Amino acid sequence: MKVLTVRQLQAFLAAIAGDYDVRVPVRLPDGTRMLARPAEGPLDIGPLPRKPVEVFFPQQGLVFTAEAAGDIRPPALAAKPLFVLGFTAADLAGLAFTDRFFAAGLPDDLYGNRRQTAAIVGIAGSCGAEGNRLPVAGGNCDLELIVDNGAYGVAAYTETGRALAARMRGEERENFPEGSATDSTAPVTEIRRMLQRASDLLLADRVPEAFWTEMADYCIACTACNLVCPTCTCFGVEDRCWPERTERSRMWDSCQLDGFMREASGHNPLGSEALRTRRRIHHKLAADVVRWGQLGCVACGRCDTACPTGIGMFAVAKEIVARYAEKK
Amino acid sequence: MKKVLTTCPYCGTGCALYLLVDDDGRLAGVEPSATHPTSRGRLCVKGWNAHAFVRHPDRLTTPLIRRNGKLRAASWEEALQLIVARLRAIQAAHGVDAAMFLSSAKATNEENYLLMKLARAVFHTNNVDHCARLCHSSTVVGLADTLGSGAMTNSIACIDAADTIFVIGSNTTEQHPLIGARIIEAKARGARLIVADSRRIRLGRLADIHLRQRNGADIPLLNAMMHVILREGLADRAFIAARTEGFAALRAAVAAWTPERAAVLTGVPADEIAAAARLFAGGERAMIFYAMGITQHTHGVDNVRAIADLALLTGNFGRPGTGVNPLRGQNNVQGGCDMGALPNVFTGYQPVADAAVRGKFAAAWGTPQLPDAPGLTATAAMNAAGQGRVKAFFILGENPMLSDPDQGHVRRALEKLDFLVVQDIFPTETSALADVVLPAACYAEKDGTFTSTERRVQRVRQAVAPLGMARADWQILGALAQTAGYGGMCYPDAERIMAEIAALTPLYGGVAYDRIDILGLQWPCPVRQHPGTPILHAGAFSRGRGRFRPVEYQPPPEEPDAEYPFLLTTGRTYFHWHTGTMTRRTHLLDREERGPFVELHPEDAAALGIADRQTVVIATRRGEIAAQARLTGKVAPGLLFVPFHFAEGAANALTLNALDPEAMIPVYKVCAARLRRAP
Repeated sequence: MKVLTVRQLQAFLAAIAGDYDVRVPVRLPDGTRMLARPAEGPLDIGPLPRKPVEVFFPQQGLVFTAEAAGDIRPPALAAKPLFVLGFTAADLAGLAFTDRFFAAGLPDDLYGNRRQTAAIVGIAGSCGAEGNRLPVAGGNCDLELIVDNGAYGVAAYTETGRALAARMRGEERENFPEGSATDSTAPVTEIRRMLQRASDLLLADRVPEAFWTEMADYCIACTACNLVCPTCTCFGVEDRCWPERTERSRMWDSCQLDGFMREASGHNPLGSEALRTRRRIHHKLAADVVRWGQLGCVACGRCDTACPTGIGMFAVAKEIVARYAEKK
Repeated sequence: MKKVLTTCPYCGTGCALYLLVDDDGRLAGVEPSATHPTSRGRLCVKGWNAHAFVRHPDRLTTPLIRRNGKLRAASWEEALQLIVARLRAIQAAHGVDAAMFLSSAKATNEENYLLMKLARAVFHTNNVDHCARLCHSSTVVGLADTLGSGAMTNSIACIDAADTIFVIGSNTTEQHPLIGARIIEAKARGARLIVADSRRIRLGRLADIHLRQRNGADIPLLNAMMHVILREGLADRAFIAARTEGFAALRAAVAAWTPERAAVLTGVPADEIAAAARLFAGGERAMIFYAMGITQHTHGVDNVRAIADLALLTGNFGRPGTGVNPLRGQNNVQGGCDMGALPNVFTGYQPVADAAVRGKFAAAWGTPQLPDAPGLTATAAMNAAGQGRVKAFFILGENPMLSDPDQGHVRRALEKLDFLVVQDIFPTETSALADVVLPAACYAEKDGTFTSTERRVQRVRQAVAPLGMARADWQILGALAQTAGYGGMCYPDAERIMAEIAALTPLYGGVAYDRIDILGLQWPCPVRQHPGTPILHAGAFSRGRGRFRPVEYQPPPEEPDAEYPFLLTTGRTYFHWHTGTMTRRTHLLDREERGPFVELHPEDAAALGIADRQTVVIATRRGEIAAQARLTGKVAPGLLFVPFHFAEGAANALTLNALDPEAMIPVYKVCAARLRRAP
């Protein structure tokens, strides 16, 4: 495997800057890690609090501008394709999910224009929180950086990935990385098992309505669970009108808001906190399983970090399993 | 592409967030600071949407002058010259105190300082106040009286150390969501939670004990809790002996307040009051949180005193996980007070009546003398305008047409003025009455600082350029002073203003931008080397000893009767902010709460034949509004709750303009109302 030092990685990033709009995890002044251009802060490879798919599907973004005269202009296309480094294996699973969503039916140009030309780089190995090892994705991206002892192993999976890897200057090492991170088919983690058990219980209709009322009492409707979720794709649309133009934009929406599904009559199929909380979990652990044959939760853990009151996906799934699983 | 670390513009919790700006200069979203001790990678729904109103088409982008009855675009020079000429003429004809200056808890410290300086140094009046009058003026008076400092004694992070939390008159998860959430976390790890609130709020649902006292009956409740604590020997005698004064008077005063007596006035069963007292006194580290449910009464100051008494009685001061913690409403209402946007004090609560203080400020500002008599409060000035004694208002970033009590009275008062200036980011119900409107930059378009409820002075940073001709408030005020012939208010940047504040203000003496670049400092911070003060009153109280100030129950000025049988209380919702200027222009928030509503108990609704979501008319002796009925057990029978965000159904068309005699805060939380189906 080709292995890079951090200097070699930085040199590579500088070298491709002419061809790509490069985005990497950087450490901002207060220590928050965020996807940014390399000039915005020191490189800080690790899991991103904000879902990296935001580069294709931003929290708020222009859809089109309609001139008073009648012309409709889509947003200008980017001059360079994106190079996005920072997807964990969970994020890459989420990316596959959003790719499918935005490609289905009428393909979504706003997403697709940025996505189709982008180079996607995964991160794995010993760059997790508190030095934890992140699993290797082994695909779902153009190439993957596997971190070990401050060095970066390169695994290329696509033509684009191999072309990029060819531009990297590193040394070939045989036994890299050392330790357990080599196994890209890493065993299913405890969390994944727990999510699967919670999913089974939901599909078997073993979770009573009272549970959702109880969980919903903790929900302050901050909407973060949706906003940070790498498989949430719902967006709202807003028009803003000036005398000379109208701008349509879209923004990350949330099924935890009453207005999300409220009908014009005022009736709301998701008209209570309990129903909305139920939907949030049910959608990921039951509805997506029926529709796509896979959990809608990629186990990134972001909603558990961002939830101010401790009812993220892991916490709720754990509670479901603790209460309703058959005791062995 | 830019990521700009700043402070949330909504509540006083003081969350740090990044504004994300794309390559086209558009705001593309918000990301919470992962490391800030309050936000910790989290935000509430308003914080997550804090970018959304900034570029709204309704923003004011040019100065406006009323000509032939209509507001028309004008140049800055024209607008500023007109303001100076008119204010000067009115002051010449009617005296300097015929002008009133309203500052804004939404503006930065630097801007509050400059408005205060403008009023005092340039227009020679102490008639300067801001909306703290309407929310926590009772706190400033009540806690200064008992403890010596009118601010939150402890830090938000102290919640993690508390074993007992008592929340009274605060719907914390809706109005200070990240503080409310932290209380929920504390409860989940085993802390005991007592909530006293007439409405079945979220924290009430999660509490060990939820006392639903009748609105306005907080003093009987608190006195009875103290009665039980003393009767059962649960008071902290060592603390009382070592650190307090006036205990004998308190003991005598609460002796008659048995829980049984309080039960009659509060509607809370005596055994629940006793249980709450035991639970609270049993805590080793007990925190009290309160907000508008305590302060917005004609006895708001006494309510605050009773809370301080309870904490003194149980020795809950000066340690992590303790304290009396008023939750300041606005992003910078603490700072507005700290900056002396108050009629009786300069910055850092230095009295205008003190000749030495006046001399210090006069020398620093290069003015021969400064007025010595305290000026008018916002509420008194509105009354004086109604009586024709105040002739001009300069209003920076406030909307009294929706926020002040008795809208009819406010309208009459503002219409009676000879001259009204409004400086704001959006047109408002108040600017619609103005003679001159000045377009201001919003929080995302300027630099400065906000001081959060935990006394943390934090940076606000410019992410995008002001729209059109709009300018930062500090720049506008500097130009206005310059137009008036005073050059001492022009600064190259906001940092230079803070340097001047620090030099004149012992509380902020050690605050400087290079020290608060990443994380703010908590005052008092007297000198540059000082690390700031997370917990007040640690060794001694700011006033020396903590003073017990026993208080007696006074009924509200207006109570339900046969004609107006409901008790009406007002407040806010989670999704909107105050008069809605920002949140009603934020798509997801506006979508959530579209218009005025009234919370009504299903039993009352049934008796009146009112169905859920039906339009009803709510009437008081001041006026009436139409609103959608929301049938819910959140309110008790006989209680109505109306939020004050909505101009088309303004809660403050209903409220009573009766004031606490010490703090001059209005009684927003109690009045008598009746209800009928809309025709």
